[in-house]
Amino acid sequence: MRSIIYYVREFLRPEWIRKFFTAKTAPLETPSYFKGYPTLTGNKCTACFSCMMICPAPGGIAVLRKKDGWEPEVYPGHCIRCGLCVEACPEGVLSSGRILDVTAHDGTAFWSWYHLEVDDNICMRCGNCCVSCPVNRQIDPQLAGSGTSSSDEVIMRIEGGRVQILHEEKCTGCKTCETNCPNSAIRVARMVEGVQIPEAET
Amino acid sequence: MRNILQEIKNAVRSRSIHVSYVDVGSCNGCDIEVLACLAPRYDIEQYGIYVHNNPREADVLLVIGSVTPQWVDKLRDIWDKIPEPKVAVAIGNCPISGCVYARRGTLTSPPVEKYIPIAASVPGCPPRPTEILSAILSVAPLIFKDYEERKP
Ligand code: SF4
Ligand code: SF4
Ligand code: SF4
Ligand code: SF4
Repeated sequence: MRSIIYYVREFLRPEWIRKFFTAKTAPLETPSYFKGYPTLTGNKCTACFSCMMICPAPGGIAVLRKKDGWEPEVYPGHCIRCGLCVEACPEGVLSSGRILDVTAHDGTAFWSWYHLEVDDNICMRCGNCCVSCPVNRQIDPQLAGSGTSSSDEVIMRIEGGRVQILHEEKCTGCKTCETNCPNSAIRVARMVEGVQIPEAET
Repeated sequence: MRNILQEIKNAVRSRSIHVSYVDVGSCNGCDIEVLACLAPRYDIEQYGIYVHNNPREADVLLVIGSVTPQWVDKLRDIWDKIPEPKVAVAIGNCPISGCVYARRGTLTSPPVEKYIPIAASVPGCPPRPTEILSAILSVAPLIFKDYEERKP
């Protein structure tokens, strides 16, 4: 009998009752290292569009022209918070979680270029790609309508009856050639490689 | 008298929110986050939120995933089965924008708002369990508080 009374008394303690009805697990705070939506650090954006190019989510980020210069804008509902734009931005305009600290500490960066590939089986040697390429036109304004060129500096030209790619590294990734190819024979791919700067160089 | 009754109803409803979730074509990432809400770490039930798989018992429908063709009519059916007052919450990017599936050549047809009314959406791919939790907790009282009073 005594034990039952003790038992009941134990449960009638106001503190216990209050806890029983209101206790929750510790308030769940977002940890400081949580990789949220990228935020602006205040650095100046140079409108290189690296962030837009690397973003894997359709419509995740757009670099917009604001009153004073350019500014990237991240769209929740599209952005998947992968943090790639933060890593890809050469100016450190964006920040998210501790990505910037980690990349600075490890000396890691993204290195990217454009890879051009022509499928010789469907290419009909019209030379549209070579002619439409704005970089080509700039280098050699004399570029012939058939895509042949006397300049060795152009990105690509028709040579020996097929498209020869000479200077892939000059491509800006505008994909004008892709849209102007009647057969979808030329493909522009952005290649991204993660690189780590050796400690001696940093 | 009526007001006291209403107060009681409000109090009870705020402590007893029944949730049902439907996956209309997701990658399962968001489903796992909803599941994590049930785990002791986040423990959704301590807030009086119970997860069912029966829409007829639900107050809140969590919609996960970008809508695939097979789900277009079924999602509507599920929504119609939920008794009033009800509310749908979109979980993740998929029901909002289609997320990574919003590309040419995919069969999904987001957003989910085209098919059923969405009261709140939780962006993220996937959203954190705490974000899901706070969305449910913040949207539920708005919908259920004084529901009878507001009815025309
Ligand atoms: S975090 Fe990822 S998904 Fe979001 S804007 Fe940056 S690159 Fe795109
Ligand atoms: S990568 Fe950085 S500098 Fe380049 S456009 Fe994006 S935010 Fe601007
Ligand atoms: S993507 Fe643009 S710059 Fe690059 S080869 Fe094609 S047209 Fe020229
Ligand atoms: S929002 Fe992302 S995690 Fe959620 S279902 Fe869609 S793709 Fe998967």
